[in-house]
Amino acid sequence: MTVHVRIEQLTVEYEKPRAQGRFVAVSDVNLDVGRGRFVTIVGPSGCGKSTVLLAVAGLTAPTRGRVIVDGKEVTGPGRDRAMVFQEFALMPWRTAVENVRFGLELQRWSADDQTARALRFVRLVGLQGFEHYRPGQLSGGMRQRVGIARALAVDPQILLLDEPFGALDAQTRETMGDELLGIWEQDKKTALFVTHSIDEAVFLGDAVVVMSRSPGRVLETIAIDLPRPRTIEVTDTTAFVEYRRRIRRLLGSGQEAHG
Amino acid sequence: MDKRLAISTASIAVFIAAWEVAPRLGLVDPFFTSRPTQVIVAAADVVRSGTLLRDAAVSLSEFAIGFALAVAIGVPLGLLLGTFETLRLLLDPPIMAVYATPQLALLPIFVLWLGIGMSSKIAVVFLGASIPIIVNCMAGVRHVDRPLVVAARSFCATRLDVFARVILPASLPGVMIGIRLGLSRAVLGVVVAEMYVSQDGVGNQIMRLGSAFHVDRLLVYVLLVSTFGLAATSAVRRIEERIAR
Repeated sequence: MTVHVRIEQLTVEYEKPRAQGRFVAVSDVNLDVGRGRFVTIVGPSGCGKSTVLLAVAGLTAPTRGRVIVDGKEVTGPGRDRAMVFQEFALMPWRTAVENVRFGLELQRWSADDQTARALRFVRLVGLQGFEHYRPGQLSGGMRQRVGIARALAVDPQILLLDEPFGALDAQTRETMGDELLGIWEQDKKTALFVTHSIDEAVFLGDAVVVMSRSPGRVLETIAIDLPRPRTIEVTDTTAFVEYRRRIRRLLGSGQEAHG
Repeated sequence: MDKRLAISTASIAVFIAAWEVAPRLGLVDPFFTSRPTQVIVAAADVVRSGTLLRDAAVSLSEFAIGFALAVAIGVPLGLLLGTFETLRLLLDPPIMAVYATPQLALLPIFVLWLGIGMSSKIAVVFLGASIPIIVNCMAGVRHVDRPLVVAARSFCATRLDVFARVILPASLPGVMIGIRLGLSRAVLGVVVAEMYVSQDGVGNQIMRLGSAFHVDRLLVYVLLVSTFGLAATSAVRRIEERIAR
């Protein structure tokens, strides 16, 4: 399996606002993601797991180290990567289809292609009948479906998902995870998925990267050997429960990461 | 909705009826208050003689030119100031100083510079309207949801894309609020400036008719101004609602 995304000794520091000194968000993170793999990153809030994703997206510059995609160092956003955001980041003045078309517009897809393609992806994520609704008229789960459709529509090689279901209730979250896997199974794009839910991380991932509290470091990367395609029943198996226990122990008991 | 409309209509009807009846019953002196019927007769008079049209044309031109300039300059300037921090830090103090100054306090200076013709009134309208427009456009840009900008960048948006497709539409509500606030300042500016220094225009007529005790005709002009202000403001509001929808 070829390495698609390689993260080498990634350290990201931020200037602290108003105070002197720097805040170390992630420290010396190393990670290889094989092409077509679904890798999840789990850790407590503020462990810098989103920062790792932003660095891969090219939205945050590494202080030290680098991110290599397809053998080339990341220096900024690219068409090969698309991101799904926790807070959805949908334009409230655009309808579902228009939001999905947003990425296509920015990447200058041919004009007659845009609406047809946007419609196709809105329907792919199960929003038929809601194509022309605005985000304000949609539920949280539906909004994130739009967010996922927007990312998929630009046909990226790598999907970056930053706690995409973090703002959803438990039930919706489970359904969305299940459906995301269904969509992912179709063409197996390389996926990096950040979450603070252990269950979600194990259920979705081929591997789970467990990160420590700030400064964020990789504690361990655990290969998840559960058969695919997976359905929600897999969460009741002994193997699943064992993975969950192991990760919870790694994170230390009493963490807010629920599972 | 119907209930609200009915109550509002009733309130206006009661007011007009009281206004008509009270002077007839001798409760108030019609010399000071006039009566609705007299006002209607006076309105017919000033329309027929052409004075109303002439004054309205002068005031409307001053308003339109000043306000159009304020929008044409204020909106882009406000958006620029919201986008570029250095520019904002540079221009914020003078803008805030003018914001705090009643636009009419500067009228004598404008008269000194531009004379008592239309130009000085246009300047008052422009100044009064452009400041709320600039300030609200600036605020509109600064309150754009950050994640929207990040999302646009993640899809390889250029700086121009971010501005045209995210910042501009996202700050549109702020722009419209600025335009609405600027509008009322513009109407106020025209009328009051004409009251002080002018040879014609609606404000000038109101002043003259007041000194000549022509309350009925004076009220025709006052009603004209308030109707115009109301119509213009609700037109902008309707656009705002369409945007917010």
